[in-house]
Amino acid sequence: MTKKTEYVIEVEKLTKRYGDLPAVNDISFNVRKGEVFALLGPNGAGKTTTVEIIDTIRTPTSGKVRLLGMDVTKKKRDIVPRIGVLPQGFSSFDRITVRETMQYYSRLFCCRNADIDRLIALVNLNDKAKEQYMNLSGGLKQRLGIAIALVNDPEVVFLDEPTTGLDPRARREVWEVLLGLKQAGKTVFLTTHYMEEAELLADTVAIISKGKIIAMDSPVQLIESNADYLVLTLQSIGEKAFDVVEKMGFAPELNNHKSLNVKVTGTDDIRKILNAMEDAGVSLLNMDVRKPNLEQVFLKLTGEALHEGTSGGKGAE
Amino acid sequence: MNLRVVVASLVVSLKSFYREKTTMFFTTTFPILLILVFGTIFQDQDKLNFDLCLQDLDQTQTTAEIAKTLSLTGKFNVTKVDPNIDATQYAKTNQVNLVVIIPKDYEKSCIRYLQFGDPNAFVTIKFVYDPSSNSVDTKMRILDIIFAKLNQGMSGKPPFAMTEEISILTRKYRFIEFFIPGVIAMAVMTASLFGTVNVNTELRQKGIIRKLSTTPITRSDWVLSNILYQFILAVISTTAMLIVSYAVFDVKLQINAWLPLFIVLDVFTFVGIGLILTRIVKEAQSAAAAANALIFPMMFLSGSFFPLEMMPRFLQTFARALPLYYVNEGLRASMVFHDNAAALNYAAIIGTFAALVFILGIIATKWEEGN
Repeated sequence: MTKKTEYVIEVEKLTKRYGDLPAVNDISFNVRKGEVFALLGPNGAGKTTTVEIIDTIRTPTSGKVRLLGMDVTKKKRDIVPRIGVLPQGFSSFDRITVRETMQYYSRLFCCRNADIDRLIALVNLNDKAKEQYMNLSGGLKQRLGIAIALVNDPEVVFLDEPTTGLDPRARREVWEVLLGLKQAGKTVFLTTHYMEEAELLADTVAIISKGKIIAMDSPVQLIESNADYLVLTLQSIGEKAFDVVEKMGFAPELNNHKSLNVKVTGTDDIRKILNAMEDAGVSLLNMDVRKPNLEQVFLKLTGEALHEGTSGGKGAE
Repeated sequence: MNLRVVVASLVVSLKSFYREKTTMFFTTTFPILLILVFGTIFQDQDKLNFDLCLQDLDQTQTTAEIAKTLSLTGKFNVTKVDPNIDATQYAKTNQVNLVVIIPKDYEKSCIRYLQFGDPNAFVTIKFVYDPSSNSVDTKMRILDIIFAKLNQGMSGKPPFAMTEEISILTRKYRFIEFFIPGVIAMAVMTASLFGTVNVNTELRQKGIIRKLSTTPITRSDWVLSNILYQFILAVISTTAMLIVSYAVFDVKLQINAWLPLFIVLDVFTFVGIGLILTRIVKEAQSAAAAANALIFPMMFLSGSFFPLEMMPRFLQTFARALPLYYVNEGLRASMVFHDNAAALNYAAIIGTFAALVFILGIIATKWEEGN
């Protein structure tokens, strides 16, 4: 098997412009068979444009995109039966039940043998099979969307922001479904602006900002190579601790909970700071040492926050 | 074209329609209400006799004969007005649009005229009327003819120029029979245009069309399922309208193969126009407004409700540029006038137009996010 055939998605110098505005600017990447690939970026970074070009909803301005070895601009008819798509802001026919919706999409793909019951069970909608779409909560709607994306037993599944707008509980329920897909060995192309989502699910994360891919690797590697520091959090009585740390040449930051965050390079720094605290007579209430996460990697790479707050959902379940 | 896919989409549309009770109610009952309301309003157009108030100031045997003659013509139901009251006041009080006053000395003058040939022995019959009334002109014209015949009879000579009516129709049609094909054409147009615009803009706004574009369903499959759906709705509402027309107004219309053909052409035309509108107008609300802007002139100017002859000449010319005109006229040619040649002619014109807008409609249907 050649190296090329290992990739189910090959994107080469892809550019998409809306008028003069480049939404996606000369990006290239490949996705291997069986991996979960996450395109991580803030709103407006170009995630949806990219995924919609790959899954044949949009056409590129320039560049080459091959999906399952076929040019997406020329072979839509051959590609579509082999992929499953959950578009951004997925919605379905209001008065059609969960089961009927599944049957409809299964008929569109002419799948005579689609195991609708198994798919409904997979996304944990058994109790809601006879419920009309309009009566489902946001999380249940998304789960139905995922089940629909799987109705033709696709080789590649595209999920465009599958948990946006969901509350934390509903989001976790969707993640469980996605972890199931990962375990089943499906190739999944995911876009998200939730770093926990990318960190939890993805084998490879590509960080996209302003239409450009600025970093791409496994979540662990991204953190390792971009954030070679630790964050020491100290909670103390009084404000003396800040001055002590600052005098030592570190750059402390006060966080929302009035505790102190200090970036340190290793455990030696931590020991030095703790000794200095003791010498200065500062009484510590609490102490925590953390490795940085993708959010901090993103902040470092782009200088902008990934999104405001981590829960941020408006949907309810 | 995949028939399985078309049928699956059709079933989804029909289930949605059936479960959306308000839409179902209005789609089926609106045309029926229209037939009932307009049929009742325009029933007067077919009325063969009018109410007539007669004030006999002479109160003689001869004038009593006049009242009898007027009743016998079959044109009037005569009501006698007390000779001692003021006719104008009577008309105003009782909202009567015409009071015919037979003057005093009518009988005497009549005798002088007939027996002595006195040229000065004439009488003036007064019409006290309300000029704002629609039917009063017709009534006065009928009375003029009756009195002209009376004068001619009294002259003792046979009439010279006589008239004979030869109808181009096998039978006289009633206004309600003229009206029903127009309402059918109009109801099918409204349902097809609004249905297409509403459903497609809603599905597009909700992203369902985008989802469908990632499945094997093609634009043609989708458009064909739209057409079939609208055709089934059209058949349901047309059947309901015809049942009501037969049951309530006892119409006599010819139902043959032309009826489904014109309904199909009506559906094709307005689903096609609906698809083009959906492409041009992005928002669901503006799309509905645009559909209204098309429907209203079409409804009133294409002869659905009123015969074109009632309209100014330039509007008559304009009507011939409206597609609904050809559906109206085609349906009337087949259902009322039994004129197959005319029906074929209208079918050919609307058929060509339907094919054109239907193809444009398919082209206009945006399946991929192109730009």
